[in-house]
Amino acid sequence: MSNAYIDQFPAEAKVIRAAFYSSFFALALGGVFGIIQTLHRTGYYRFIDSADYYTVLTAHGVFLVISFTIFFLVGIFTWAITTSLDRGVEDLRFTWGWYGLMAVGITLTGVAILAGFTDATDISASVLFTFYAPLQAHPLFYLGLVLFVVGTWFAGVDWFRSWWAWKAENPDERIPLPAFMVLTTMLMWYIATLGVAAAILLFLLPWSLGLIESVNPLLTRTLFWFFGHPVVYFWLMPAYMMWYVLLPKISGGKLFSDPLARVVFVLFLILSVPTGIHHQYLDPGIAEGFKFIAMTNTMFLLLPSLLTAFTVVASMEHGARQRGGEGYLGWLKALPWRDPVFAGMALAGLMFAAAGFSGMINAGMNINYLVHNTFWVVGHFHLTVGTAVALTFMAVTYWFLPQVTGKQLWSRSVALGQVVLWFVGMTFMSNAMHRGGLLGIPRRTAEPQYDGFEFEAAVGSVAELDAQIALGGVLLTLSLVLFFANVVGTALNGRSDDLPDNSYAGTLSGPEDAPQILDNLKLWTAIAVVLVIFAYTFPLLSIIDRGGLFGPELVELPLSTLDLESISALALAVEQSTIATLETTADTATAVIAGVIP
Amino acid sequence: MSHATDESTQIQDPDQPTDSDQVREIGHDEFDPVGALALIGLYFLILVFLWFFMYFVEFLGNDPTVVSGIVSVVTGGVGLA
Amino acid sequence: MNIHAYEKLWLVAAMLLIVGFIATITYGSVALGITMVGDQQDTVEPTELADDDRFDDPRVEQVGENEYEAYVVAQTFSFQPNPIEVPEDSDVTFYVTSRDVIHSFSLVGTNVNTMVIPGEVAEMTVEFDDPAEYGVVCNEYCGPGHHDMEGEVHVVSEDEFDLTELEADGPDEVETGDEISVDVTTENRQLEAIETTITLEIGDETLTEDVTIEGGETLETTFTVDSATLGEGDHDWTVTVDDHTDSGTVTVADDLEDDGGDDDE
Ligand code: HEM
Ligand SMILES: [Cu+2]
Ligand SMILES: [Cu+2]
Repeated sequence: MSNAYIDQFPAEAKVIRAAFYSSFFALALGGVFGIIQTLHRTGYYRFIDSADYYTVLTAHGVFLVISFTIFFLVGIFTWAITTSLDRGVEDLRFTWGWYGLMAVGITLTGVAILAGFTDATDISASVLFTFYAPLQAHPLFYLGLVLFVVGTWFAGVDWFRSWWAWKAENPDERIPLPAFMVLTTMLMWYIATLGVAAAILLFLLPWSLGLIESVNPLLTRTLFWFFGHPVVYFWLMPAYMMWYVLLPKISGGKLFSDPLARVVFVLFLILSVPTGIHHQYLDPGIAEGFKFIAMTNTMFLLLPSLLTAFTVVASMEHGARQRGGEGYLGWLKALPWRDPVFAGMALAGLMFAAAGFSGMINAGMNINYLVHNTFWVVGHFHLTVGTAVALTFMAVTYWFLPQVTGKQLWSRSVALGQVVLWFVGMTFMSNAMHRGGLLGIPRRTAEPQYDGFEFEAAVGSVAELDAQIALGGVLLTLSLVLFFANVVGTALNGRSDDLPDNSYAGTLSGPEDAPQILDNLKLWTAIAVVLVIFAYTFPLLSIIDRGGLFGPELVELPLSTLDLESISALALAVEQSTIATLETTADTATAVIAGVIP
Repeated sequence: MSHATDESTQIQDPDQPTDSDQVREIGHDEFDPVGALALIGLYFLILVFLWFFMYFVEFLGNDPTVVSGIVSVVTGGVGLA
Repeated sequence: MNIHAYEKLWLVAAMLLIVGFIATITYGSVALGITMVGDQQDTVEPTELADDDRFDDPRVEQVGENEYEAYVVAQTFSFQPNPIEVPEDSDVTFYVTSRDVIHSFSLVGTNVNTMVIPGEVAEMTVEFDDPAEYGVVCNEYCGPGHHDMEGEVHVVSEDEFDLTELEADGPDEVETGDEISVDVTTENRQLEAIETTITLEIGDETLTEDVTIEGGETLETTFTVDSATLGEGDHDWTVTVDDHTDSGTVTVADDLEDDGGDDDE
């Protein structure tokens, strides 16, 4: 009899499985769109209309950075809370409730996006994951996002309830590190999502429903980035958590410093939000001074990541030395490179080091003239969310799947091949994207080939860059195929009694070394709120003062060229029946997803 | 059941392939992360070098650049850096 | 709190790095004068650009000896004016706005790059040295034709550059024997006077007039040709000033049915 997670928390394991499978489904869809885009842009294979490219890109962005990442992280957060507090969730129905809300929400959004491929309905949402007004999506798109986000809010409530209940029983204990990380991340998330909630609920949704005439594009854009920067930490912090609580154990050692890990998460809580304006360095209508403040905050936000780099490497080194590693760098050889969980996380961390560099460039205010909205940026975030996060998630899947299914991993060697392939593919793709960006090749463009001019490469050529991007994309797609083979193969395995115990890394310097104040979540939240108020009040007031709360009269896109008099009845009927169908589809989808799980 | 207390989470599982390779136990006071220091030092040097390269060669070498109308006369040589 | 000595060292190094980065950017701003697109300009009504003094007629204007202003409108899926022509060795301030959605205005291979947001005006001052041709891309997704949105900025030599505008107007039909008169309006939008020649070519005839137009002035000239020398039939005419042309066609007929006078248009 083993003592895996599923043996300890069978009911919670089922929720986590549901979250994981939803996440993987999104990853599969996103991957398909990813390779279509790659081959289209580079000109190697174009089978869709270039106008549809943007529907593909919207789907790629939303499915990967909203559904794949967030479904996965709610899974591991549930694991982290239950394992580290050693108690099941307070109310399982509530847990399934938030999961269901997220699933319904993303289904609505997904359907609104995918409907853009057919002319059968006039529903479409090819607005990319940033949905900048005056681009306008169908109301379903916004509504779905709202439900999804509200689902994550309830998930947070669920975890806080566990913690409050635990605290009542253990009044004098330190918050266990994994729970601490979950709670600080969620606090950050609550603050961050206020921006997108305001953008959608006050402006974009009423506007798409025709309740208000127009919006202030700079205002909704600024509210989006209020959320859009911290959302990257919402993806990253779970990956960091894996590096802190799982990686040291997998390396054969212990976490170097629990106190510093807490400091890092506190820094993320207080610094993640007041930086979003760094995405708007080149926006007219925002004073240079505000941009400079955002840059300063952003640069200091490097600190927790730099500290993480040291702590994580030191923890790996501890493992390597316990395994007999010697020398300044010789210990690297003693690490368990053949273990896919380790190799995947270590390679993800290595890529994150490179991403850290391109991120520093992105943060540098005036250097943004060089890189803003070029392919460089795409190269950058395929290293961050596309590798540091995605590869870490895939790697830890090889540890979590046996835990939550009670089945042996289908193949460790396929898993090892998968993570290495991802690393190699991403090296090709993202390196070439960075270089392309420096030549001025734009992102988000179906055919970056122009009539009037060409991009000039000092070294190599655009054709060579395209070849590397396409090659990288193909390798990444292959890697995904291997990943899904393993997920399906594992699901088809029988139950095993011989699984590793559910546990996480011990610490060399434990919580007893951490000042008590670090666990004062109220204090850090208050500081975070104050910083946000400082950073955003004046820019927002100035934007509203300039452009008005509801902005100038706008030409919205998609432009409605329909003769409303004659077809409104028809359109209404189509819309209503589609919504009805969607709702049933959503329900069925949830039921199916839930049903897949034995 | 794993317990939240520090000791239990440190229990290493014998089935984990990684743990079977452990040859010694290194405690907090004996551990000196020189390897981490070496790697991070290397990273630091790379960052500094690349930062200067990106700013002064790639960025300033990519002129023209947006300058303020007034200072522009003085900085005719921005791109030369 | 128990922090390892190496960690303290790294903390210091990390802070140095951060401060160094901020210092470099500040150096760029203060010493090199690199300026961010900001909020200097008042807002505009995106749907009423036709009534806006600055954007009703997207154009390049001369405002000082080597100083120019370019008023640019981005819209799905083009830039106006296109190409944008400016002289070498000049300081050009671009004012860019959008008629509809968010676009960008980005000169390929340079650090000239801005978002273009409806309602807002992006201001960027740029020094152009030598003659060159730059591509302009829109790097923000703006709709299904986004990838077709491109433009050009031409930095031309001093000799080639002018801000002359030419308009010529002639009758559609005249009766044989009557005079054909072509009115030519030449505007010199530069600050300095220009000396040039206006030429009318019609049939085998070539008429010229040497003129001097003061900076900011408009000159009206009229060329007259006797239709009899051209003979019956359709005659194309072209007026040329430097490399600007305007043209039209006049029909010379023996007797016109209704003698409604010179019907211009
Ligand atoms: C098979 C693997 C993948 C391939 C081949 C791929 C390829 C691409 C390409 C070529 C673009 C640029 C499109 C453009 O700007 O025109 C892109 C955009 C993007 N990718 Fe990926 N990608 C992959 C995986 C991922 C993963 C795992 C993530 C995140 C978890 C991700 C997130 C994004 C995002 C957020 C965008 C930007 C969307 C936008 O600009 O609206 N990608 N991808
Ligand atoms: Cu950001
Ligand atoms: Cu565009």
